[in-house]
Amino acid sequence: MNYTEQIRQIASRLLESGQVDMVMAWKKGAFDYQSIPYVARSREDIDKIIFDDYCVHNLSASLLRYRDSNEKIGIVVKGCDSRGIVRLLEDNQIRRQRLYIIGIGCSGVLDPLQAMMANSGFSRTKDISGLAAKCANCIQPNPVIYDELVGESQEARGPGNRFERVSEIENMTVEERRTFFEEVFSRCIRCYACRQACVACDCRTCIFEETRPQWVGRETSISDNMMYHMVRSMHMVGRCIDCGECERVCPAGIPLMLINRKLIKEVDRLYGPYEAGMVYVEGQKPPFSVYDEKDPDDFI
Amino acid sequence: MKYFKKGQIEKIVDRLAEKADVFVPMLRGQQSGFFSWKSYDENYDDLIFDLLNVYSPPKNIVLPQTEKMYNFDQQGQEVIVKPEEIPVEPKVIFGIRSCDVKAIEYLDEVFLTRTFVDEFYKARRDQVTIVANACYNPGTNCFCKSMGVDPLEPEMADVILREVENGYVWEPKTEKGDILTKQIEDLLEEKEVELYELNRFVRKVNYDGVAEKLKDLFDHPMWERYSDPCQTCGICTYMCPTCYCFDVQVKNWGEEGYRFRCWDSCMYREYTQMAGGHNPREATTERFRNRFLHKLQFFNERYGTPLCTGCGRCIVACPAGVDIIRMIELIKEAEPSV
Repeated sequence: MNYTEQIRQIASRLLESGQVDMVMAWKKGAFDYQSIPYVARSREDIDKIIFDDYCVHNLSASLLRYRDSNEKIGIVVKGCDSRGIVRLLEDNQIRRQRLYIIGIGCSGVLDPLQAMMANSGFSRTKDISGLAAKCANCIQPNPVIYDELVGESQEARGPGNRFERVSEIENMTVEERRTFFEEVFSRCIRCYACRQACVACDCRTCIFEETRPQWVGRETSISDNMMYHMVRSMHMVGRCIDCGECERVCPAGIPLMLINRKLIKEVDRLYGPYEAGMVYVEGQKPPFSVYDEKDPDDFI
Repeated sequence: MKYFKKGQIEKIVDRLAEKADVFVPMLRGQQSGFFSWKSYDENYDDLIFDLLNVYSPPKNIVLPQTEKMYNFDQQGQEVIVKPEEIPVEPKVIFGIRSCDVKAIEYLDEVFLTRTFVDEFYKARRDQVTIVANACYNPGTNCFCKSMGVDPLEPEMADVILREVENGYVWEPKTEKGDILTKQIEDLLEEKEVELYELNRFVRKVNYDGVAEKLKDLFDHPMWERYSDPCQTCGICTYMCPTCYCFDVQVKNWGEEGYRFRCWDSCMYREYTQMAGGHNPREATTERFRNRFLHKLQFFNERYGTPLCTGCGRCIVACPAGVDIIRMIELIKEAEPSV
């Protein structure tokens, strides 16, 4: 997958005509296997833009940085990333008119982090072949919202097994589950990379940064870590777009998508059929973001 | 030369562990770091003396991510403060690389010099003996030599291990090192072996003049550009062997509780959040800039050296590809704005 030329042409057209003030895309890093998010703001920047197999990042989360400005933004998105834009539109984080969306029919990407690690000397794994883990169960390779499309329409890869691991965990005994999650969360170093990479995390002030009151303690203890992850995941219900960035960036290898997939499964079962960010209908709100007086409250 | 065969290494660690808590480099499932030999499980853990380095730096041995400071209990009008006992068990960091030894040297500067001695740090630090593993094969993102670190001669090490064909040379450097040598004397043999030569560095960078130049670059527009990809997570600072910032926090239940400190990161909004509500580093650009200014300018102004040992972890781990080598180059290229 290499759409560098097409995207440069579009970016050049958009920037030169003044249709947008910037184009969010990628450039190459120090290594062939490193593609880095890049914002082109002028004609001189266009030659740096690339799109290759290592463009793994979900750039839609970066739009949040511009939610208070008026700049018009061109943005390159793959199928999963485009669902992030739908989420931001639903949450009124950015106006549709400010965006020019360049959609990519995505045949799956490779993970620069995995390649960096394999080549770093820190890992025994030297194998960097194969798609990024997050692409294995892709359900939406094609953009759900766009102004211009680049590349062929693609088939989804094995969406059927998306919940396989979730079922395994569901079938554990309570004790087994507790042991599993304790081990997993004890590894967390509280770097908040999962939150920062996430497009669904669009709160202006994160609950984990609140100090009056401080809702979650700052210790890296099993209880504070559990609390962090419990709150984080509860906030993902109906919002996670299955882009897999949180799990990809986690330096502690915490299976965050396992948790998110459970939420995707449950919100679909209880409030569905529903899958976050699959289609943009103006004014439409996802579950858990509206209040209705007829909401059942017999459990209170 | 004192020498032992590679197959003896576990025996040596076993012996040292009789008198100290020995921390060795391991892969433990998804984790990679220095773990206590006491917790070693041969069915699960993988000893990685042969790999370049561990992913999580060993700074947590002298500066734990979370550290209790004191307990308190309010009884009526009185508050009883009970200091937290700091464990005083001797510790050996076994197999630490030069970059990480240098990092501990910088932590020593911060916590033990310039008129203030941090008692928590000192209590842990005093117990530590350093058995370094000389580094003959720099990794893809290593640039320690560019930052003034000698990969073969870790200055502060009490013992230096030198990997040779089939074995290791054991080279005691200090009194603490001699004590360890006595403990394992019967496991060492006298043998003349040929030492390897240091392999070529893939990456290097010239830090000369960077600290001075940065004085004029605070308002430079480059910070905004270069911080574009940064997600302001704390990975770079938590994976860094030298980043030492911490916050002091409290936990209490009713009348009793404890105060503790925990790592903090200049990448977080909360780090600079002030009581009145103002935040001087609200934007990504400001936080991103601070990280590089602290490492490359401020620390140098106070301690005469950059706060970076060239271990390359932040380069490997950054999800957005921020690269400190590239940043140093860009700083050197930057035209000071008028």
